[in-house]
Amino acid sequence: MVNDMRALLHEAAANPPADDLDLAAVLRSGRRRVRRHRVRVGAGTALAVAGAVAVTALVGSTDSGRDTPAASSVPRPDGPVIGLADAGQAHQGVDYELVAQHANEDLDVANGQYYDGVTDDGLILFRDGPRGTRNKVRLALLDPATGDWQRLPGLAEKEQTWPLELGRERLALASIAYDDTEPFGGTLRAHVFDRTARAWTTVTWPGLPRVSGSRSPVIGTDGRIYVGVPATQGSPPPGGWPTGPDGEADDAGAEGETYDLWSVSLADSADVRDEGLRYGALAFTDDAMVWSETTNGTNDRIHVRDLQTGAQHDFDPRSGERCNLLGLGASGDRIVLSQYCGTYRDGRDDRVQILTTGGDPVTTIQGDGIDGAVVGELVEVTSHMPKREGTYVYDLADDRLLRVTDSLSSYALGGPVPDGYLMWHTAYGERQDPMRGGGAVQTLARWTS
Amino acid sequence: MRDEDEFVAFARGSRDRLRRTAYLMCGDWERAADHVQEALIRVYVAWPRLTRAGREYAYARKAVVSVVLDHTRRRSSTELVVEADPQRPADLDVAELVSARATLMQVMTALPPRQRACVVLRYFDDLSVAETAKALGCSEGTVKSQTARALDRLRSMFDDSSLGELTLGAGTW
Repeated sequence: MVNDMRALLHEAAANPPADDLDLAAVLRSGRRRVRRHRVRVGAGTALAVAGAVAVTALVGSTDSGRDTPAASSVPRPDGPVIGLADAGQAHQGVDYELVAQHANEDLDVANGQYYDGVTDDGLILFRDGPRGTRNKVRLALLDPATGDWQRLPGLAEKEQTWPLELGRERLALASIAYDDTEPFGGTLRAHVFDRTARAWTTVTWPGLPRVSGSRSPVIGTDGRIYVGVPATQGSPPPGGWPTGPDGEADDAGAEGETYDLWSVSLADSADVRDEGLRYGALAFTDDAMVWSETTNGTNDRIHVRDLQTGAQHDFDPRSGERCNLLGLGASGDRIVLSQYCGTYRDGRDDRVQILTTGGDPVTTIQGDGIDGAVVGELVEVTSHMPKREGTYVYDLADDRLLRVTDSLSSYALGGPVPDGYLMWHTAYGERQDPMRGGGAVQTLARWTS
Repeated sequence: MRDEDEFVAFARGSRDRLRRTAYLMCGDWERAADHVQEALIRVYVAWPRLTRAGREYAYARKAVVSVVLDHTRRRSSTELVVEADPQRPADLDVAELVSARATLMQVMTALPPRQRACVVLRYFDDLSVAETAKALGCSEGTVKSQTARALDRLRSMFDDSSLGELTLGAGTW
């Protein structure tokens, strides 16, 4: 008998069982990954499950009179502007001291081990996993000075967690439990580890509405968790966003989204408070609460509340007309806005705008494929530009911009660190296949300059 | 927002074919569906630049191959999964046909993953050596050598059985 291999292969695959492919899940996951590629994620998010805000966009002349980026070049922002080409080179031993480093050689093959943050007493929150069908995660505290480990008891949580507080007395991790009814929101949970008793406690708040999965909760200066409940959402124009010169949808100048601010106590599941404030993005300094009117779209109002006196003021940050606010941070008397402002023939217009809490412009870092996040008194600027890829540091104290690395890994790694520390990640080795992420090296440093 | 309607139409139109390719590579329909789902997510992310270049399906197939090979690398054991096909064409010698298919799938599953991928891409998807090399991200020489080794093994298994000779049939290129 002769067996034709082609025929046998086709026959073997000729009668598949019913197709239960979940296209909605494909779209949800795809959107999340697109967002992850384009936006700096919140502290503590990591590997393949990071959530962030959308950066979709608009190009072409519109009824609203927005400009036509396909026919023009990247505009210059108002006020002082610097670019990545203006950066000096940071030097180990001069600008920073290396504290610890960890490499994952190939994160496509298997999940790895990560630095998820640093406690106030200088220990690294070290995570292995998630691994296996149960998404098992193992956590430990690593002393970078001695190499000593303290393995933490198991935490019964299948969802992704991210650190809210890494204190001397307690660690607080947040997670959001999703269900099928609302793919981008869910029930907030906090897992508190008592470092003396070495035990986890999980807190939920029955009185708290479902929270957004795309806005990370933050810890306020009063120790409460501040979290957004979705309020309003912008919608794309009829027919969807046009495609920009880079082939990506372009939603610059989009209508933003808002949230209602709630707060909860880590110690009491009945302590839930509607703060009566609608906002976009939120940040705290030691003595002020700062928020934007909207986020993930244009924003023309920044509010500042003095936490001691309750005095409040607001101002127009004078961001570009097409600038979508993607991230907000604050430190001391500085406010930092990370924005996407459109795609033009000569590239993306991304900005990290730095203002005083009084609304005065300090500087704007402008680049193609950059974003920024506040880390203590530093702004960690991440650049995806091929020739200028890497991590840069803008020092809010002396207004210097320094380049720290010349590569980035494909992953969103890191977490909160105490003032004076900085954590970054770089690619491991040469990336051979653009479809694969490769490996990553995380570096923890103490900023000394 | 992207042009999701176009992507959804593409996904609906291609998923069945992609699932068959994935199944032949991994030997399990359920896992094949998971692999296609992951591959389509990767396609979604790359969609704007794919539609401009008109290479959506080739990218999707490459993504399936990549996902299956990645998954194979992650598995700690070499699980053999062979499903007997419950649907039987009426006009063929069922016993011989099922036996030949089952043998082929069993030997396929035991092949090293990249050899298996070469066989599926060349003799199920009817890709040329050059196209297979692109899908696998390797040289044409590697495709030739991997395919030759796979065919040797497959043929020897058939030769050693009572099923008779295994031939390659006619290609479409």
